[in-house]
Amino acid sequence: MRASLFITCYNDTLYPETGRAVVQLLERLGVELDFHPKQTCCGQMHANTGFRGEAFSQAKRLVRLYRDAETVVIPSSSCVAMIRDQYPGLMDELGNDSLRKDFAALLPRVYELSEFLIDRLGVEDVGAYFPHRVTYHASCHGLRGINLGERPWRLMAKVRGMELISLPNLDRCCGFGGTFSVKNAEVSSAMLAVKLQDVVSTGAEYCTALDNSCLMHLGGAMHRQYAGMKTIHLAQILASTEASPAEAAA
Amino acid sequence: MSVSAPARQRILGSIRAATRSVATESARLADAYAALPRPYLRRGRLSTEARIELMIERLREYDAEVVESTPAELPAAISAQLAASGKRIFAAPQGLPAEWLVPGFEWKIDSGLSTAEIEMAEGVVTAASAGVADSGTIVLHHSGAEGRRVLSLLPDWHLLVLRASQVVETLPEYFDRCQHPPALITWISGPSATADIEMTRIKGVHGPRFLHVILVRDEN
Amino acid sequence: MRPVASERPVLDPALAPPFPQAVLPVLRNPQLRKNVAHAIDVIQAKRARLVAEKTDWQELRSAASAIRMHALENLGFYLELFEARCTAAGGTVHWASDAAEARRIIIEILRQENASEVIKIKTMTAGEIQLNPFLEANGVSAFETDLAEIILQLGEQEPSHIVVPALHINRSQVREIFARRMGLKDLSDDPKELTNAARAYLRRKFLTIPTAISGANFLIAETGGVAIVESEGNGRMCLTLPQTMITLAGIEKVLPRFQDLEVMLQLLARSATGERMNPYTSLWTGVVPGDGPQRFHVVLLDNGRSSILAKTKERQTLKCIRCAACMNNCPVYRQTGGHAYGSVYPGPIGAILTPQLMRMHHAQSLPFASSLCGACYEVCPVKINIPEVLLELRAHVVNQERGRLSRFLDPLYLGLRIASFLFANAWSFHAAQFFGRIGLGLFTRNDGWIHALPSVGGKWTQTRDLRGLPPQTFHAWWAARGPRPGTEAK
Repeated sequence: MRASLFITCYNDTLYPETGRAVVQLLERLGVELDFHPKQTCCGQMHANTGFRGEAFSQAKRLVRLYRDAETVVIPSSSCVAMIRDQYPGLMDELGNDSLRKDFAALLPRVYELSEFLIDRLGVEDVGAYFPHRVTYHASCHGLRGINLGERPWRLMAKVRGMELISLPNLDRCCGFGGTFSVKNAEVSSAMLAVKLQDVVSTGAEYCTALDNSCLMHLGGAMHRQYAGMKTIHLAQILASTEASPAEAAA
Repeated sequence: MSVSAPARQRILGSIRAATRSVATESARLADAYAALPRPYLRRGRLSTEARIELMIERLREYDAEVVESTPAELPAAISAQLAASGKRIFAAPQGLPAEWLVPGFEWKIDSGLSTAEIEMAEGVVTAASAGVADSGTIVLHHSGAEGRRVLSLLPDWHLLVLRASQVVETLPEYFDRCQHPPALITWISGPSATADIEMTRIKGVHGPRFLHVILVRDEN
Repeated sequence: MRPVASERPVLDPALAPPFPQAVLPVLRNPQLRKNVAHAIDVIQAKRARLVAEKTDWQELRSAASAIRMHALENLGFYLELFEARCTAAGGTVHWASDAAEARRIIIEILRQENASEVIKIKTMTAGEIQLNPFLEANGVSAFETDLAEIILQLGEQEPSHIVVPALHINRSQVREIFARRMGLKDLSDDPKELTNAARAYLRRKFLTIPTAISGANFLIAETGGVAIVESEGNGRMCLTLPQTMITLAGIEKVLPRFQDLEVMLQLLARSATGERMNPYTSLWTGVVPGDGPQRFHVVLLDNGRSSILAKTKERQTLKCIRCAACMNNCPVYRQTGGHAYGSVYPGPIGAILTPQLMRMHHAQSLPFASSLCGACYEVCPVKINIPEVLLELRAHVVNQERGRLSRFLDPLYLGLRIASFLFANAWSFHAAQFFGRIGLGLFTRNDGWIHALPSVGGKWTQTRDLRGLPPQTFHAWWAARGPRPGTEAK
């Protein structure tokens, strides 16, 4: 099984350890991973802030880059949602037939990480060991955007040593929302305060999710407030084993 | 209407321009409408007995008092309801069946009652046109036996006579039966209520606070 | 800039402060936030229970969306049909291009009637055209009859929700308003007593004021009928007791056929108030001799709606049946309440409807007042893809900004423009990462975290730390790693 890793611009820059964990995990499962060195960004930040034209160029670039990839794995539900929800419209507007064809061919080959594990590899038990109390935050893009459904839960259920504590008000947005977090920083912070209350109330050591964007927001507040909790991307939990425990998390 | 003729032209002009590429030509409009998907539940699935039971359950959920009766026993049932109310003066629509105007009470028949006269009635008795069990809704078409709208609005106590044969399970079934809608319809699904203050549900703001229903088993 | 908590919120989109500014006094008002959160949590829970019980909920949504879209796509036909049927039944149909025209038509009718007072059923559309102040200025007293609207009118406050407009006011605040304005010194704050006070206050008005103004939940093209969906019964009072009824309705309210109510009514009450069916729904057609108002006017209002109709992706905005499920489930609205949106239409629907009604000349901050979580779309009974429309409007607003010199003073604008160039090539992206790490390194503390940043970054660090950029990017790690360990032998 071959797969091409699209790390995402912010993981590449801010959370390389998530990328390393994805590599460790997938290679352990026998996946032959490659990494296109020319990748940059999927364009979501621009598209979501109203900079359509700028998003076009990034979308075009991504589609061309992965034209020949067997499978593309992305450890970020928001970027996958961008490709599934917004790329079709962008492709239509660009009106380039060959590009549209390339995209149509690429679309079914794009997987978010948990989708890749469950749907493509058909595994739930990835051999993970993470002896900690953890709560899971369902990011909005994962929950509603690409409908991950049961997948994260099925994966987490098989992580040995981990105690999963359910998060109250699971489907409520954490308030990150991309540039919303700075354009409407005060509301974003109010939503964050409410969410953090729920997260901290679980008494977990870690809050995990499939998107580092939410975790950056939650983790940033935890750190500021000395909250006694940390965030960690689910890939890092799944990659963690007795022999090779997760890197010291943020 | 002539006062706003220019505006009318302007608005319809804007609308036409806006929908030019998507509007269906009028000859095909009925077909386009008929082709709209309606995958929701149309027909009810309950037996007659279960349907009536559901109707009664829903009515009681919103604190309507419900008693069952038969056509033969109806006047007696009405009598009992009126007596139990402790009230004496009742309004009635002009077309209410004569045998429902049971003796022992003062009846104000609405052959043009003034609002002040209606206000003197302590209760009102009317027929109904339909019942929808799914939501416990009673439908008035304001026919002769149901009366003018104001008649069932001002008094504080309302006795409705609903026949079992008028009760359907689902709202679409009501609409199916109602091929020629009357000019006036009131759907009643509870006494009036408000939750405007702290979402606390308070019953009986305007309109009758007390609803009584006699469900007449007229299947045979 | 210090927020002034006591000022009456401005619900005129042309005058209201931008959303990020308007929220500040609200976010610092714990009582208000609590009132709002409590109210919508209640409705949310009730709705969820009833939706779970309704096995054909998704099918109803699909049908409703299709019916509404069909009506919009053929709006001209259905409006003309409505006009013909309503007129044949004795009603008079007027057309108003904008708010000013609508106000003029209404005051003309009132003058013809010699009306100095009107009773009103709750209608957001009247708020949209700012009718009440106009009536007052022209010698007509307008009395609200809906409990929430009475609270707002007497308390000189603005609505913050389209179904439960006074949800930001708690019982002791209502008690204070009623005691003061109704002269009821010994009034308690028991909601039952408060409601009875309102009931008594209104009784005389219903029975003596001969002119009423309403909105409309639905206009039925096939029959010329108008439907009003309510809970309290004040609608029924206003619809039957007066001599003259004036109904103000947005042109988008029209449904093709009577039968379409079978879908809408199943969705509306469950979405709006978490009930299987609201207590009273009234439908009337034109004028019926001997029953109700003998003079009936409908004022059809455009006020920007036809311009929304013209845009393919935005057209769906007009499917709205004003249930407020979107704002009841919105995590942003839950923190801010409605006033911050500066419009009688707040919340997610307000964020897309208000700027569009303003033809994108005002309320440009509203499309950004969302984290794009999608909860609204999930609960919308007519399947308006609000996030999709928000994104269209954001693009529109940014395009407006592109044409203005002031854009060079907007750090976020500049940042995103620059980022776009940087993302265009791997080398520029990597260079940016390199210099970014150096630059941010200046702000990184010993524990590896950033505590304070300037400019736009400062909006992040107001309340959150940011972990400093790691010394090695992922791509650099991959490149340094070389071929996968253990694969060389293959």
